[in-house]
Amino acid sequence: MSELWGVLEEHLPEFSSGLWVTFRLVAASLLIAIVVGTLVAAMRVAPAKWLNRLGGVYVETFRNIPLLVLLIIMFAGIRRGGLLIDPWVAAIASLGLYTAAYIAEALRSGVFAVGKGQIDAALSLGLTYPRTMRRIVLPQAFRTVIPALSSLVIAMIKNSAIVGASLVALPDLLKQARQVQADTFQTGEVFFWAAVGYLLLTVTATIAFRYLEQTYAIKR
Amino acid sequence: MESKPRWLLIALAVATLVLASLALSACGDDDEESTADEPAVEVEQFPADTTMGRIQEAGEMNIGVKFDVPPFGFNNPQSGEVEGFDVDLGRYIAERLGVEPVFREANSDNRIPLLVDGTIDMILSTMTITEERDLEIDFSEPYYVANGDVLVPTGSDIQALEDLSGNRVCTALGSTYQETIKQEVPDADLRLVDLYSQCLELIQTDAVDAVSTDNVILTGMVIQDDTLELLGLNFTEEPYGAGIPDGDTEFKEFVDESIQEYIDDGTWEENYEKWVGQYIEEDQQQGPPEITLEEALKLFPFEQ
Repeated sequence: MSELWGVLEEHLPEFSSGLWVTFRLVAASLLIAIVVGTLVAAMRVAPAKWLNRLGGVYVETFRNIPLLVLLIIMFAGIRRGGLLIDPWVAAIASLGLYTAAYIAEALRSGVFAVGKGQIDAALSLGLTYPRTMRRIVLPQAFRTVIPALSSLVIAMIKNSAIVGASLVALPDLLKQARQVQADTFQTGEVFFWAAVGYLLLTVTATIAFRYLEQTYAIKR
Repeated sequence: MESKPRWLLIALAVATLVLASLALSACGDDDEESTADEPAVEVEQFPADTTMGRIQEAGEMNIGVKFDVPPFGFNNPQSGEVEGFDVDLGRYIAERLGVEPVFREANSDNRIPLLVDGTIDMILSTMTITEERDLEIDFSEPYYVANGDVLVPTGSDIQALEDLSGNRVCTALGSTYQETIKQEVPDADLRLVDLYSQCLELIQTDAVDAVSTDNVILTGMVIQDDTLELLGLNFTEEPYGAGIPDGDTEFKEFVDESIQEYIDDGTWEENYEKWVGQYIEEDQQQGPPEITLEEALKLFPFEQ
């Protein structure tokens, strides 16, 4: 037990800097994922066929490539191509674009949950399609999919651990923990604290989504 | 309507069975092959309660080697087999027990846990002898001595160890260089990866400015990519030892004996020439290690 606290005390700088890197990585990727995911969802339900297809291609591409492969392509692949992409950019883009595909699918199902009559009504009242989307459909869609989004965000926080273990080698929580483990050989203790760090992030996300749900969800 | 999903299930079950039997028969082939070329040399039988006896009982010795570090342990894409200086030594030791060596991938970060949990019987993975590692496992007598060096793209501004300051330096997580660089050049921007092959990828794509580790590992990289060069700094001495489970004195004695024999009967020289000697200048070549385990341990003392 004392060893458990000893490891944390002695290596607090490593753990906290790792947690901070993971937090920034997740926050930036989430922003990208929500913006891109919303755009793609809108494309997938748009009245134009070619937009549907384009959205479909996006979702199938990013959803069907393992995140680790995506990271390697984004970092090593693009650098080999001559563009010297920064590790942070590669990591955030990979995690963000990957999660965006899932968010787009969740939102699409939310859009389908909004009665078609509402869209017809809005259009017949003279609202343009983008306006109908923005004012009528998407706000309701977001409300319906809050629980699904919550799961996706938690999955994304955990997926972020792949970044540190990959070629990109950002010093995230997992990477720092492994470095401390290599220094001290205290495997159990070190990864216990790494797990606590990830829990801190996921529990915070869960609480935030619970709040969103209570505030915005459709009352039934 | 109802029969359709049932057909699908049956088809799936059949497909699974076929795949499983294919996988199993593939394993079966492996076993046959390994028993076929059993060495004809007479071997000493060890009591069943020793590690050697247990390995002989199992008929195979699990050895942790690197899979990505030419010329010590690497997966040769042409032959599809693991080859190298460490691999040859492992084969030699397994032969003395009359068993088949099974080479498993063990990198700087996971090799000690793999040995401690019994997945592998011995580590031969370019592992420098250090006091800190000696707390977890035991070491054999040194079987090779490497030197710390730095690899840079040809024409780099980095020419000395101090020049690493402020530059991105790649080395493996859990290697001795993680500590050495931190101490010698505290301002270096260390990038720690799992495998040395990842360092090669990173320096080739300009994602790091230098790679620092044992000169023999770096020589392997220069062989693969001649736009890189070694600085020849030799700033540390890194005696390699075989990793043995902690406190297993009988097994340690056996491995030490095997290494001594390996050196005495000329196999060491032969394999040195085959894997290292032919790639480096004659004045850089070396003989078998003269350093003892005791002296080696003092090179990397444990500080806490």
